[in-house]
Amino acid sequence: MRRFSCADLGLVCVVALLPGSVFAQSPQHRLTYDVAVVRAGIGVRQVLAAGHVSGPIETGLRLSLRSDTAEVEALFGVFSESDTVTLAAEFFAKRRLATSRRGLPLWEQDSYARFVQLEWGDTARVYPLGPPRPDAAESLWVDLVVSRSPAGGETRPAETLSLGTGPLEVVLEAVVRPRRAVVGLGVVRGRSIGPPRRFDLIPDGANRQISLPHPSGMPLVLELGLTRPEPGRSSRDRTLALDADIVCLRVSQPDSTDPLGVVCGRLNNVSRRIPLPGGDTLVATFAWPGAR
Amino acid sequence: MDVHADWLRHIDAELEGELTLVEQTALARHLAACPHCAGARASSLEMRVAMAQAAGEPNAHVVPRPATPRRSVALWAGVALLIGAAVGWGAHERWGGPGGAVEDGRAAIFVR
Repeated sequence: MRRFSCADLGLVCVVALLPGSVFAQSPQHRLTYDVAVVRAGIGVRQVLAAGHVSGPIETGLRLSLRSDTAEVEALFGVFSESDTVTLAAEFFAKRRLATSRRGLPLWEQDSYARFVQLEWGDTARVYPLGPPRPDAAESLWVDLVVSRSPAGGETRPAETLSLGTGPLEVVLEAVVRPRRAVVGLGVVRGRSIGPPRRFDLIPDGANRQISLPHPSGMPLVLELGLTRPEPGRSSRDRTLALDADIVCLRVSQPDSTDPLGVVCGRLNNVSRRIPLPGGDTLVATFAWPGAR
Repeated sequence: MDVHADWLRHIDAELEGELTLVEQTALARHLAACPHCAGARASSLEMRVAMAQAAGEPNAHVVPRPATPRRSVALWAGVALLIGAAVGWGAHERWGGPGGAVEDGRAAIFVR
């Protein structure tokens, strides 16, 4: 039987806050992560990248740092009680260890959790490769400032990143599990396309019966259900919540238990097709709801 | 199969001091009645005497075994250690070693 480790506990904490568990009652705040990736040597200090990620209060920050010899990916999240905030991070790290006898790189892989308690506006200094030794000539760290501000109802996540020069690849991503999703649907028969319609659905909510205009003129009645995908199969997928913005649409005929089709995708407006009986095709797109 | 083969093995074992009293008694009875085996025992003894003389110990009770000089042992042990160290160093250079403690390379967060 698999043991429940400290890393699992951290993952549970980080993932639990993503759906907005502790902040569900306070959507009026907007969370911001200000990030600066800094490399410092003797008498030299260089900002390799700077940016910020903001979004609803349950927003997580996915930070990736990659070089030829090391990769550190982390999912940061916060949960708060009163004025203090706990910054939780799940790390997934890979280091190039050596070269195999066939000349291929050998990598060492690790995943673990870190927690630190701070106040809103404090700076957390993250040493992604471990704290520097006292005699180290160079060190790399990430300054992370977590703050919140009144949101005015704005719900969409936002990301900005400015990169400096350096051998390090830096990626910042906002990680938000959607509370709602806009599903665009249209029916295609041959070269005829019915007028598309948009539906505001709640993941894991109740099924909804809809009527779609059909090119033949007869409306097409379907039942829609929106679910979240199964947890990722790899440890990295689960640790970094790579499926956070994926939803799955289940389409069935009314009063039928067998679905006509299930299609999953990110909220990125890319069309996905579900073949329907009778030669029709249902074209579906998923998108974030508009800002309220 | 030669009927004397077993007795010849017994003769060798006796000269090496490996026979029990019962086996020695049986061999003595056989030698008293078998001139072939008695002659073989005498030949074996003569060969051992020759080997002892060649080793410079004509009055030895058993055939002296060639002794390995201590200096040679020390020399070969040193060579083996040097080869092992060189191979270990090369392997570490090529494939790396276990490294430091796991926590040394893990991320750390401090509040400033």
